Amino acid sequence: MATKQVRYEALVKALHSDLYRYAYWLCHEKQVAEDLVQETFLRAWRALDSLKDEKAAKSWLITILRRENARRFERKRFEMSEYEEATITDTRSTSSEQEIENHWLREKIAQMPEEYREPLVLQVIGGFSGEEIASMLSLNKNTVMTRLFRARNQLKEALDEEPKLRGQYNG
Amino acid sequence: MDDLLFRRNIYADPKTPDPDVISAINSDPAKQKFAHELEQLDQKIFDALNVPVPEELSEKLILRQSLASHQQQKKSTRIKLAVAASVAFAIGLTVNQLQFSHAYSSIGDYAIAHTNHEAKQFSNNAEANVTLTALNKKMASFNGQFSADLGELIMAEFCRFDGMKSLHLVLKGQNSPVNIYVVPANDHLAYMKEFTNGELNGVVNDFKASQIIVVGDTQEPLKQWQEKINQNIRWST
Repeated sequence: MATKQVRYEALVKALHSDLYRYAYWLCHEKQVAEDLVQETFLRAWRALDSLKDEKAAKSWLITILRRENARRFERKRFEMSEYEEATITDTRSTSSEQEIENHWLREKIAQMPEEYREPLVLQVIGGFSGEEIASMLSLNKNTVMTRLFRARNQLKEALDEEPKLRGQYNG
Repeated sequence: MDDLLFRRNIYADPKTPDPDVISAINSDPAKQKFAHELEQLDQKIFDALNVPVPEELSEKLILRQSLASHQQQKKSTRIKLAVAASVAFAIGLTVNQLQFSHAYSSIGDYAIAHTNHEAKQFSNNAEANVTLTALNKKMASFNGQFSADLGELIMAEFCRFDGMKSLHLVLKGQNSPVNIYVVPANDHLAYMKEFTNGELNGVVNDFKASQIIVVGDTQEPLKQWQEKINQNIRWST
């Protein structure tokens, strides 16, 4: 019992941030993301004995979280309106150059199609390889690589146009 | 590596471990510059994706788990208790079943088994000091009375005769004690007038509400015992 507890706490400490961020980019709402992470860890606790390889823990947890997220949509089929999520984060209060750019980029990422965003989050936050992402999302590796390419391409193009946009902030 | 493929690869994964891409970067300054740009882009993406994690989320997660597992433990104690209770109940039933079930099919089989089982406790030389009054007190629960002593009575006790409450009398016989059983009339033991297993003989008197069984060794004149009982017994109903 004690060792299970220790394992669990180690897992929470090591992975809750990544998992929260992944959840956040999946649902765009802080509270929902937090609930998803809680639900995921609760399920993980119950199934902890089935986790044999600690290295696989992160992808295991992400798989649970994706399933939880899908379940959320089964429970209540509320329509996510395509883009009211401009208020996606409220880090605007600190208005350093860096923060503004971050915020601006966040919006761009949020506006990106889900199918591009998810592999990008998994790669950048999760640190997974193309193969790993492919197996987590049940896609083939080429598809994943193409989506990653398009995701970065979109962001790059957006950033290249950025100075015009930033002018708006600067007023 | 041509430029297009290079771009595709580096866009898909700026940190690619692909040796072709790496050697392309090292051999071409333009590609190196491009790779550097992409690295900066990725840093920006990383910063953007790194949304702040709520404070104390990990504490919350651990707390919720310990609450949940506490609940579970309580539940499992309840289950364990229920299992223990079921087992105890099952044992109770089994014991009951064994004790009160009818393992013998005929009255003779059971009478001989019972007699043999207790034979060691009674000796023909034992003191016979049970009075007729004491005997009749016990006979009252069978609605019967003996009007005179049957013989020298060593013991008169209620006992279970194949699950039925019965009266067991032990009297002095010629060579070995004679056992008399007063048993309520019943269906599950086949009635037989006489029985024997070679060492012990038995005779059964069938009255309305009771049967009186006499068991003794082969030397014992059981018929005389039976007659004596018939002469002395009085049934009140």
